[in-house]
Amino acid sequence: MFKFAIRNLMSRSLRSFLCLMGLTIAIAGMVGLFSIAGGLEKTVSQTFGKITGIVAMQPGAPIPLFSRIPRSWGEEIGLIPGVAIVNAEIWSRVNMIEGKPVISPPRFLFGTEIPTRLQLKHGIYREAIYAGRFLSLEDQGSLNTIISKQIAEQHQKQLGDTIDVNGQEMTIVGLYETGSILLDVAIILDIEMVRTITRFDPNSVSCFYLEQSGNVKNDELVKNIKNHFKGRELASWQPTSLALASASQSNILKTLLNSIDQSLKGNSNEKLEKSNERQLKNKNHTEVQAATNSPKEIEKESSALDVRSASDWGDRLENFTADLDIFLGLMTGIGVLIAILSIINTMLMSVIERIVDFGILKANGWSNRDVILLITAESSLLGFAGGILGGLLGLLAIYIVNWKFANQVHLYASPGLLLFGVLFSTTLGIVGGLYPAWWTTRMTPIDAIRRG
Amino acid sequence: MIEVRNVEKIHQTGETEVRALQGVSCNFPGQVFSFILGPSGSGKSTLLYLMGALDKPTSGEIFVQNRSLSTLNRTERDTYRREKVGFVFQNFNLLKNLNALENVLAPYLPLGVSTEQKKRAEELLKQVGLGQRITHRPSQLSGGEQQRVAIARALLKRPLLILADEPTGELDTQTGAEIFQCLRDVSDQYKTTVVIVTHDERYIRDTDFILRLRDGKIAE
Ligand SMILES: Nc1ncnc2c1ncn2[C@@H]1O[C@H](COP(=O)(O)OP(=O)(O)O)[C@@H](O)[C@H]1O
Ligand SMILES: [Mg+2]
Repeated sequence: MFKFAIRNLMSRSLRSFLCLMGLTIAIAGMVGLFSIAGGLEKTVSQTFGKITGIVAMQPGAPIPLFSRIPRSWGEEIGLIPGVAIVNAEIWSRVNMIEGKPVISPPRFLFGTEIPTRLQLKHGIYREAIYAGRFLSLEDQGSLNTIISKQIAEQHQKQLGDTIDVNGQEMTIVGLYETGSILLDVAIILDIEMVRTITRFDPNSVSCFYLEQSGNVKNDELVKNIKNHFKGRELASWQPTSLALASASQSNILKTLLNSIDQSLKGNSNEKLEKSNERQLKNKNHTEVQAATNSPKEIEKESSALDVRSASDWGDRLENFTADLDIFLGLMTGIGVLIAILSIINTMLMSVIERIVDFGILKANGWSNRDVILLITAESSLLGFAGGILGGLLGLLAIYIVNWKFANQVHLYASPGLLLFGVLFSTTLGIVGGLYPAWWTTRMTPIDAIRRG
Repeated sequence: MIEVRNVEKIHQTGETEVRALQGVSCNFPGQVFSFILGPSGSGKSTLLYLMGALDKPTSGEIFVQNRSLSTLNRTERDTYRREKVGFVFQNFNLLKNLNALENVLAPYLPLGVSTEQKKRAEELLKQVGLGQRITHRPSQLSGGEQQRVAIARALLKRPLLILADEPTGELDTQTGAEIFQCLRDVSDQYKTTVVIVTHDERYIRDTDFILRLRDGKIAE
């Protein structure tokens, strides 16, 4: 029966081929699109799976790069029970490497406090060193640096070479490779050197990386640290405060950008007002505080420090990929709809052409069920083949993209996704064949034969 | 063997009714060559299809081996056609993308074809003179050869009954005579009842049973 079905498809090879291509491309598109989400998820788990500690940074800042917190808070955090080590970090975007502007993939100067960094039980970068050495105490105050394999390859640098970053000649003393495209972007230096190079505020750092002692549960520790900094004064991070840092305080444009930014973040007006209130409060500290803060607001008041564990980051990104999945699902849906219409069309045409054949077969004792089985066998074969080819084509596209843009993106199609693609495509084939198959059963064998 | 009892068949196409058969009664004897004769449109094909359970009479009954076809359910009708009746049509009606052998085996594809059936199909093709053309497609065969494939297909099931609707209608006289000879040979050998619709009276022999139709009625 399947041989017969294959024979029937082969005898209409051009049409079958076109239908197959439609399916193949739809499934390849599906695999390709979902590999974006898959790749993101994999990158996320690759990245955050390795980070066991906690990051404390400015509330609202999406990543440490945009965060500014007082340097002195590090000591305070270190005193909170459950915190073993506090490592201060400064992150800054690199503009030029070897005299060429850096656009994509981005590169970051990562300044770390060397003495505390060396005390960490787990250091993602330290553990990822594959050539040379990690920074040591002697590197404090020097331009000795550690770069990723990615960066070294991009600029054809070897261990011991110098590399020009933002106009500074740095000596490469170590090479690392974490395998995560989110992590392999850092050029690691002593924190004070980064501070000087980037003219970073002497009393601030980007964030603190904390390692737990293990006595206090993670969730509780996060809560305790947040509580400790409740009510402290630190303006929430606003993207415009970076761009317009030098502009005057009462800039109309700034207020406008602020409100746009706030509404984009989905904050209500109430919150906006509240943050304005707080800015006001900063200025006229003592007088305003008593007047504006009702007891309720004090209760609601948030911490001046945002504390996140790696799993928090992971969860956030997972939410994002879940949203992405919906979007990708919609996009794929269109392709799939076209594919299924193309199957129905192909099968209906081939069925109409063969009405006489089915009449003959029925005259020879084929039941309606047999005919339906034959037609759905043909269409499911189309679906199955389309699924396999689509999966292969999708994989090929993914390999090409991953190879061509190795440092920017990472797409990943899981075996589960591929299997789903094939099953889904086969189901499409069966469903697409059912209507044409049912169509044949309305005709008696003689009607069919008389047509011929 | 086949008893047609007061059969009426009205074809309904939209508003118009065509009374193709108007109360036909007759008895086709078993293991004999029978002919249904009559002008075009007299209801010959309609009667043949009713006997093959391809269609149901509007009223009246048809008994085959004393069993009324109208009592069969859908599955039993399929089985009846697959196992008891071999059809041969005017325009050969082979499946174009199957070769001769596969066409002979086509009725059994859904059930799975046994090697024994395959061997028998080859023998039957040899018997109807197509031993050298087993793997030819219908397009590579002449009209007469195609009709022989159809006869072999009808014979594979060792049918009780072979129903042929103008089997030589599209063939030249010489080939037509050969087909009739072929049908007579296998009928003798397998003791099969054969009912043939035709308007060519040249091949009729004295021993054959003849039914003449005119305007849906038996012509006296
Ligand atoms: N399926 C059908 N629908 C409508 N009319 C039909 C159908 N089959 C046969 N007829 C009509 O019934 C009459 C008898 O047809 P048929 O049995 O094919 O005659 P014959 O085979 O003797 O030429 C004709 O008038 C034909 O037009
Ligand atoms: Mg006729």
